[in-house]
Amino acid sequence: MTALTPGRARAIRLAIAVRLEPLAERWRAFSATRGGGLVARTLGTNAAWIFLLLVALMVIFDILAPGKFLTEFNVRTMAENVSVLLVIAVGETFVMATGGIDLSVGYVLLFSGVTSAQVMNWGGHDPTDSGWDVVLLGLVVALGSGLAWGVLNGLVVAKAKVPPLIATLGTLGMSWGLAEILSNGQDLRYLPRIIGDMGAGRVFDEVPYVVVVAALVAVVGAVMLNMTRFGRYTLAIGSNQEAARRAGINVDRHLIKVYAMSGMLAGFAAFMSLAIFTTTTISGHANDNLQAIAAVVIGGTSLVGGVATVVGTTIGVCIPMVLFSGFTILGYQSFWRDVAVGAVLILAVYADQMRRRRRERS
Amino acid sequence: MRIRNLAAVGLVLFTVGACSSSATTAPNNGSPAKAYNLTLIQGVAGDPFYVTMACGAQAEAAKEGVNLTVTGGNKWDATVQKPVIDSVTAAHPDGVMVAPDDSKALLDPLKSMSDAGIKVTFVDTKLDDTSFAVSSIATDNLAGGTLAAKTLAQLIGDKGTVLVVNVDPGISTTDARVKGFQDEMKNHPNITVLDVQYTHDDPTAATTITTSTLAAHPDLAGVFATNVQNAEGVAAGLKQAGNTTVKTIAFDAGPKQIEDLNAGIVQGLIAQDPYGIGVAGVQQTVLALKGEATTATIQTQLAAITKDNVNDPSIQKYLYKASCS
Repeated sequence: MTALTPGRARAIRLAIAVRLEPLAERWRAFSATRGGGLVARTLGTNAAWIFLLLVALMVIFDILAPGKFLTEFNVRTMAENVSVLLVIAVGETFVMATGGIDLSVGYVLLFSGVTSAQVMNWGGHDPTDSGWDVVLLGLVVALGSGLAWGVLNGLVVAKAKVPPLIATLGTLGMSWGLAEILSNGQDLRYLPRIIGDMGAGRVFDEVPYVVVVAALVAVVGAVMLNMTRFGRYTLAIGSNQEAARRAGINVDRHLIKVYAMSGMLAGFAAFMSLAIFTTTTISGHANDNLQAIAAVVIGGTSLVGGVATVVGTTIGVCIPMVLFSGFTILGYQSFWRDVAVGAVLILAVYADQMRRRRRERS
Repeated sequence: MRIRNLAAVGLVLFTVGACSSSATTAPNNGSPAKAYNLTLIQGVAGDPFYVTMACGAQAEAAKEGVNLTVTGGNKWDATVQKPVIDSVTAAHPDGVMVAPDDSKALLDPLKSMSDAGIKVTFVDTKLDDTSFAVSSIATDNLAGGTLAAKTLAQLIGDKGTVLVVNVDPGISTTDARVKGFQDEMKNHPNITVLDVQYTHDDPTAATTITTSTLAAHPDLAGVFATNVQNAEGVAAGLKQAGNTTVKTIAFDAGPKQIEDLNAGIVQGLIAQDPYGIGVAGVQQTVLALKGEATTATIQTQLAAITKDNVNDPSIQKYLYKASCS
């Protein structure tokens, strides 16, 4: 190996700096959009307060149920049980950032799960020992199904100018019905063993794969929303669609992309759900859409668009699960859980509104 | 601003503290034996069948001097029950009686529960794999389906078209009922059984299915509803259509079903013994915790209830309750 002279070291450093410069440029641009020092800016975000609420809840439950709530097992299973919802909620964040809403996510998930499972069962033989090729095909079909419904949503919203609430309500019904028709109302319970292993497997025997994957999706989503042109256009459209159009953004095409992304993420979430449950869970997912919207709103994304945060969504997804788990561990009657989650949702949005109004006034 | 967030936290604290309506039963005798902690995970909360099971379990728990907590999801849904199962495992009771919502999807979480050292007993439904369970206690659902078929055949004069309204495929109990029904109907050549319809445990779906089937088959003679929710939906559907000739046999004898039976909307009820299942569940789990021998499979009794015998004292114990008091 050649010797590392100071000159050569300097040249290498320069080469790395040149490549990292665009990234640094983007970070500086992102930072400049928010005034103040890093700490002050972080504390000023809604995400910080929601995070404090989450920590407070976890501390409260730890005090009320010592040695049971904050155990490795419980934290791991709570994370596992929100992973599918988080993936859907990231897509929902982008849709709500444009001022729209996507109610079809739960049943698009169901539909994608059914098509994926059926493709993996193609030929009628037992797919338990099928190889990676079958599994990858299943993943592609799940993503494709979700993408197709997402594009349909986007076309109806952008081109046909149907309000998103109605458009996605329609696709909700259509995807559910088609899923029932395709599956004949029966769960498909035979899947390649590889998928089940992925659903149950862990990194370093600690963190479940599904949690890692969901976290990756959230990170990519956050980067996309805050540091790419795609994210900026999304927020601009949500803030003022007409102004965005006049500024030269192809609003129709962008909306289609955003809804397509939401649909594709629902398809990906379907594959994750197949991995966790090893069945298509046809009778489930009825409330996935509302849970995703609640998580997005708790996290600080505005219902009318223009302001959105994936970090907030990630925390927003955790709060109902923490409440659910804490209440169950404490042995309280099942329905109090639902009351508590509803109350927290209202309080979180109220607190956010207060903060916004105060900031606008100052 | 901080005050508002503190208020939010405070309200949650208040909600948590004020929720003294927990379903925990404390032991009421000063027995020197260890007071085990048991949890009953219902298939779905609020269903009279599972409420009655909880009543039986609580009565037996008080008798044996163990603590019992009752919990369950608010929907019959494996994706809803999984977090419940995981949280109960985290709470680490000594024993759990559980009615799994899906015989395959919940294998992993329940295996984890068993691996954590908790004794698992299946009540009502079970998994495909029962190897790690202390005991599986259920109604003989196959016999229940057979009894339903015989009773319905008698009611419709042993001829005509009948409809089966089921919940979801993959639920061990209702699958067995339908199988028993269909197998018995093979012995009745003059009766045509239509394709099974699924409602996902939604009474509204059952209503729609009933009215549509009536429209398509005006000669419909009988309906078999495989659980409480379906029975309610079918009764509503028949009422909507103003039909009084179709004979309905329903599984389960909740308060509403008894009302319908007395009003003539339903002609026969196949009642399980959820109270008995709850009692047996607690008994078997406590035996396992004490290290004594348990019974792998227990099948509880059924009764066919019609207007004629609904007031018999021997039948009264099969009627489900909406609350334990």
